[in-house]
Amino acid sequence: MTAAETERDGVRTIEAGAVPARFARGWHCLGLSERFKDGRPHTVDAFGAKLVVFRSGDGRLNVLDAYCRHMGGDLSRGTVKGDEIACPFHDWRWGGDGRCKKIPYARRVPLRARTSAWTTMDQDGMLFVWNDPEGNPPPPGVTIPRIEGATRDDWTDWVWHETLVAANCREVMDNVVDMAHFFYVHYSFPTYFKNVFEGHVATQIMKGLSRPDARPPAKEGRPGMLGNTSVAAYHGPSFMIDDLTYHYEGMDIDCVLINCHYPVDADSFVLQSGIIVQRNERLGSAGADEMAVRLGAFILKGFEQDVEIWKNKARVDNPLLCEEDGPVYQLRRWYEQFYVDAADVAPEMVERFEFELDTTRPVGAWKKEVEENLARRAAAGGGTA
Amino acid sequence: MTARPDERLLDGPPMSPVRCRACGAAVRARKASWQQTSIQWSAEAVETCLERRASVPGDGPNGDLFPACEALRESIVRAALDGELPVPDDAGDG
Ligand code: FES
Ligand SMILES: [Fe+2]
Repeated sequence: MTAAETERDGVRTIEAGAVPARFARGWHCLGLSERFKDGRPHTVDAFGAKLVVFRSGDGRLNVLDAYCRHMGGDLSRGTVKGDEIACPFHDWRWGGDGRCKKIPYARRVPLRARTSAWTTMDQDGMLFVWNDPEGNPPPPGVTIPRIEGATRDDWTDWVWHETLVAANCREVMDNVVDMAHFFYVHYSFPTYFKNVFEGHVATQIMKGLSRPDARPPAKEGRPGMLGNTSVAAYHGPSFMIDDLTYHYEGMDIDCVLINCHYPVDADSFVLQSGIIVQRNERLGSAGADEMAVRLGAFILKGFEQDVEIWKNKARVDNPLLCEEDGPVYQLRRWYEQFYVDAADVAPEMVERFEFELDTTRPVGAWKKEVEENLARRAAAGGGTA
Repeated sequence: MTARPDERLLDGPPMSPVRCRACGAAVRARKASWQQTSIQWSAEAVETCLERRASVPGDGPNGDLFPACEALRESIVRAALDGELPVPDDAGDG
């Protein structure tokens, strides 16, 4: 065997099966609920369909398949009339439960006049829909935890952003376990990293330092950022709540960051971020609002850094991992539970798994890299970045 | 899209059985280094764990998280020190 052949045989191939044909079972956030409450129908492309979101006269938020079962009119271009959405084509009236309630020009509504309706939940300022390909309601215990700060005066309002991403949503899930990318893609500096998967919840615990080489020095009179402590958990397949504290010189800032998405189709998803910041004496009331806006923009930039990677990368079912990588395969095993029928959820998908990463080696390498970057900046007469 | 096995378990140490010295819960654990630990629990082990049972939910939206059992952590360290749980040599580092 020649050397070339040996090498050839040892070539690692990237394997990738088709993206899943169905959409995850679970609660998905469609955005801040306020924007759907203007009495007009809204179009949302999600779960491979076109949905209509509308608030009925009784104040409830409803989500239906947008295509009218009569002749296919687009209900999201219709009008809210009382408790129903009226189709712009022939004025059939559809209720939030998916049933046609009335056809003004007909003596009676035909049998089978029923369309798909999604279970909705309006909680802490966000609209959620329950997606289940099997059509079952959410089981008890499968909930989105309450976020106290979202309804409290000593916290800011949500600063919310959304972005359409042309990739399968598994890419965003992988971030849960991907410690190293936080250094290389997001210019942060993880020093502690642990994952816990259990039931329908996947958690990432991370502590990090700020990167003096990646940001200009703090402005005069503004405290410099030292680092952060984060406990971030996916409650189901798409909604992550990050209990996040930024450590500044002389103060801590407590935030709750939402990182969530809903699939548009198999190859794209809408990625959303929301942040609220707790007001404190040092920050002042206006300071907290300003901080929320600034952090919101900062997090959006983080998303853009991810998106830049995702739109150019390959989908990989067999990532090649070193020991300093997180538990990618175990995360995907956990994630799989949302793509099989409820009866087929295997114990290993939901059984508790813990992974605590040894950051000794990465931290050493990254310290060196940061120092080199700072030295290079200084040599270039920098500091004014 | 069935999840595949983690090749690191074939190329490095496998998951090995460890028992908690406090409650007897049987888990599988793996150490990739002295500081790096994976723990695979079963539903039965979770039910057996005393610290888990005694834990109260913390504050905040992720307060239900049970971050770790200290007794199990110590048991794993002991298993590693006693040579029952392999810990790869650091010599090959770099
Ligand atoms: S298509 Fe909707 S009423 Fe005819
Ligand atoms: Fe990322």
